[in-house]
Amino acid sequence: MASSSRRALAMALVITALMLAVLPAGTGVAAKTTLTFWSWRTEDQAAYEEFIRAFQASHPDIEVRFVPYRNTEYNTILATALQAGSGPDIIQLRAYGGMEPLANAGYLMPLDDKVQALEGFSREVLGGARSIRDGRIYGVPFAVQTVQILYNRRIFDQLGLREPQTWQEFLDLAGKVRNAGYIAFANGSKEGWTMETFFGAVAPNFYGGTPFYEDVVSGRTTFEDPRFIHALRKMLELKPHLPPGFEGIAYTDMQAMFAQEMAAMWMAGSYELGTMKFMNPDLKIDAFLVPPERAGDPVWHTMYVDGSYGINASTAHPEEALAFVRWLATREYGQMFTDRLEQMSAVPGTVPSSPTLAKLADLMRRHGTPYLMLTAFRYDQPSGSTLLQNTLQALFIGEMTVEQVAREIQQGLARWYKPFQGR
Amino acid sequence: MLDRWLGRRIHLAFLLPGMVLYGLFMVYPLASSLGYSLFEWDGLIREGFAGLRNFRTVLFEPPYSVRFVGALKHNVLFFAMTFAIQSTLGLFFALMFRQKRRGFGFFQAAYFLPYTLSLVVVGFLWLLLLNPLWGGFNQLLRLVGLGKWAQPWLGQTRTALVSIILINAWRWLGFPILVFLAGLQAIPAELEEAARVDGANAWQTLRHVTLPLLAPVMGMVTILTFIYDFNAFELVFVMQGSNGGPAYSTDLLGTFFYRTAFGDSTTGGEPGQIGIASAIAVLMLVMVAAVSWAGIRLLQGRQVEY
Amino acid sequence: MATRRLWDVLLYGFLTAMAVVFVAPLALMVVTAFKSTREIFMNPFGLPASWSLEPFARVWSRANFSVYFRNSVWVTGASLVLVLTCASMASYAIARLPFRGRQWVYLFFLAGIMVPIRLGILPLFLLMKQLHLLNTHWALIFTYAASGMPMSVFLLTGFLRSLPGELREAARIDGCTEFQAFWKVMLPLVRPALATVAIVNFVPWWNDMFFPLLFIQSDRLKTIPLGMTIFFGQYQTDWGLLFAGMVLASLPLVALYLAMSRQFIAGLTAGAVKG
Repeated sequence: MASSSRRALAMALVITALMLAVLPAGTGVAAKTTLTFWSWRTEDQAAYEEFIRAFQASHPDIEVRFVPYRNTEYNTILATALQAGSGPDIIQLRAYGGMEPLANAGYLMPLDDKVQALEGFSREVLGGARSIRDGRIYGVPFAVQTVQILYNRRIFDQLGLREPQTWQEFLDLAGKVRNAGYIAFANGSKEGWTMETFFGAVAPNFYGGTPFYEDVVSGRTTFEDPRFIHALRKMLELKPHLPPGFEGIAYTDMQAMFAQEMAAMWMAGSYELGTMKFMNPDLKIDAFLVPPERAGDPVWHTMYVDGSYGINASTAHPEEALAFVRWLATREYGQMFTDRLEQMSAVPGTVPSSPTLAKLADLMRRHGTPYLMLTAFRYDQPSGSTLLQNTLQALFIGEMTVEQVAREIQQGLARWYKPFQGR
Repeated sequence: MLDRWLGRRIHLAFLLPGMVLYGLFMVYPLASSLGYSLFEWDGLIREGFAGLRNFRTVLFEPPYSVRFVGALKHNVLFFAMTFAIQSTLGLFFALMFRQKRRGFGFFQAAYFLPYTLSLVVVGFLWLLLLNPLWGGFNQLLRLVGLGKWAQPWLGQTRTALVSIILINAWRWLGFPILVFLAGLQAIPAELEEAARVDGANAWQTLRHVTLPLLAPVMGMVTILTFIYDFNAFELVFVMQGSNGGPAYSTDLLGTFFYRTAFGDSTTGGEPGQIGIASAIAVLMLVMVAAVSWAGIRLLQGRQVEY
Repeated sequence: MATRRLWDVLLYGFLTAMAVVFVAPLALMVVTAFKSTREIFMNPFGLPASWSLEPFARVWSRANFSVYFRNSVWVTGASLVLVLTCASMASYAIARLPFRGRQWVYLFFLAGIMVPIRLGILPLFLLMKQLHLLNTHWALIFTYAASGMPMSVFLLTGFLRSLPGELREAARIDGCTEFQAFWKVMLPLVRPALATVAIVNFVPWWNDMFFPLLFIQSDRLKTIPLGMTIFFGQYQTDWGLLFAGMVLASLPLVALYLAMSRQFIAGLTAGAVKG
């Protein structure tokens, strides 16, 4: 009787011990030098696999596995993985404020003293990979993007349309496209970030481009400035030309609409050029900047550093990771990148491959202005982008007025943006 | 000696593994949430004691307070609609199936089928079906001549949440039907027959005999539904993103909590706000526990003995 | 009697219509899985051009599906074994062993029913990190089993209490140890209850995406719901692949349900009604 109690207790202890014994079990081990490389560019998977093969030709002992995640969930998945201590070796980093918290938390390896090629990059481009807290560079920038109107040349030719020179011409053109049975703009509002793209394409001409940017960043003015409100009103003038049911149109729908030539125009980023070519090789894409109110007024072209390639500070293979990242900073890679993906490489000295891309690069040089929220207002919560995206959704659904949008953005940013505090 | 001490306390041996498992991995984290909510945090690093500051932020400071109230309202609507549907339609089906007529077994199996799907699949499937351009649902409406009802269901603030609630009900209804049916089958037939003999018609029997006897089961299911709906997350996450778009119209307490805890995914690598998120968790905990507790007490008080 | 017939027709009509509502989206999902993306846009409701299983083969290899499936089986199975072991032992103690504080222990477990473990995710995440369990299956197994304890203890205690006490007395008098009484006598009698516990827990754990989303980062450790969510994100423009993926992801549970629907139903209802 007594010994049976002991046995039961022993039994219980064994079970409990077994449970607790697995606790230090830990993760699996990595056998050979394989680097994991995370990204949000699911569209570019095939291309990156080609790039990696090119890298491995000169570095046969290093394997790199490219793992893309859906762009809307990438940030959370990455942040959680880094906190868990099981993130990738090579990280495609968002730019500016998107990278800042990761750098500040110590998850990233500073690269300014390790990747010599960085010295050749322009200061402006490096700004997308520089932490504002310690001024160090945490990634090799990979692309510069712009936001504009992409259009289908075949449809324009067919309808006898040409690139508009004034805002009114632009609206008239949209009307003509719709009358011919096409969708004017392959844009929708279901995914908030696509509204920020819409903003980037249309708004700068009307809020006054770089001068306004500098005013608002320095705190000389706020987002309730009449210029900003004017820009929001102008955006609304395009609402009648959005496709029916645009509230439910998501990003992949937009890509499909434009690729399948259902829509004549699309307010989109330059990164779409390569994707469109892949989805429909026969598509003839061209681009123009949204025209100003009157011909001859200043025009602006939203531009930004898309991101950079960084290294996980706690990677098990720092030397191999550095080898890969150094290769990503070479002109050889940059040219491969721009040729294959039809995006503007951030590496200095690369030449855009396609005429459309060259045109965008030229427009950017002449009229470039920073992408307002993405560049300056993502450094804390609530980020300018989050505020802009959600209020624009509400605006276009008809739930908010432009004044309310401006106020909400201003009040949200004032919670953390020092130049706005104490006003 | 150990044996004698143990002999009387053999129950400890039996309880040990369960208590350790449950205590360490469920009780401890939940209790810690309360602890976390009382501090300031910078990312993963705990800073100073903050008292009730995080709670004040969630309840009174925009944008958190606005989101909190909004999400709470949406959860309440979620539960109210689900409760209404399952207590009427679900009950109706259970009463029908109880009759065990021909083909009813097939119907029952069919209605339960969506329950076996994961919410992820349900979310993606309906996301595709409700696509305003290519989705089958709008196309079907046009086919049968109801084309003017075709709209971007998930993109409009006035239809998005209701659509999601209905989709959830589509997937969920099989479960309440099943449980109500089992409850009905547990009621001895003599009681209802006695009522009939006394002259009651079908409707009166239902109202005065069957339903009161079914009340405990219905109450239990209602409480389970409440707990489940209060924590709804996956459907909105998959279909609308962690932001509960469009314009926060489908934001639930679950997505609000997730977003605050793990960062707003749409933009940069914004870190989570652990202190504030823990305060949200504690508030949700208190609400769920309070309502469930009240529900259970109510049930116990009204139990019909027979 | 004519009204009776009319009522019947209406009833069956309504029930059939509802059956269509419940089943049609699933049927459409299966049929669409056989189509290419282009076909889906052009011919959404018609029959596919070919019934070849090639789309599924593509998903199986591209989405690493066999790995996800294996992981789901292992994680769910191990969690079930763990919760059944711990809960049956604890319930036996509460239901049949006289000791002081018995009611309190019972309430301690029961309180967990009302409280969703998800809300403790932040401390849980940090706890797993400290225990070096992140990105391992054990993080999931312990979490699931712990979260299953309250309901399982509730169900098993109820069943165990309903067994006649004389059985245990008889076993003890015959010279059985307490543990033998538990294992050889009582447990077999509550087998239906154990099945209930298994089924009540199994479905939500198999379908869970929330914990794997946060605990698991390596592809080789993902379970089906997480693997498929990531997969859907990666191939979001390839509708053909998406539908095939959804069908594959749903197949295990649906097949299990169709094969064992009676046991499923018995298990689920026995649990809830006992309340």
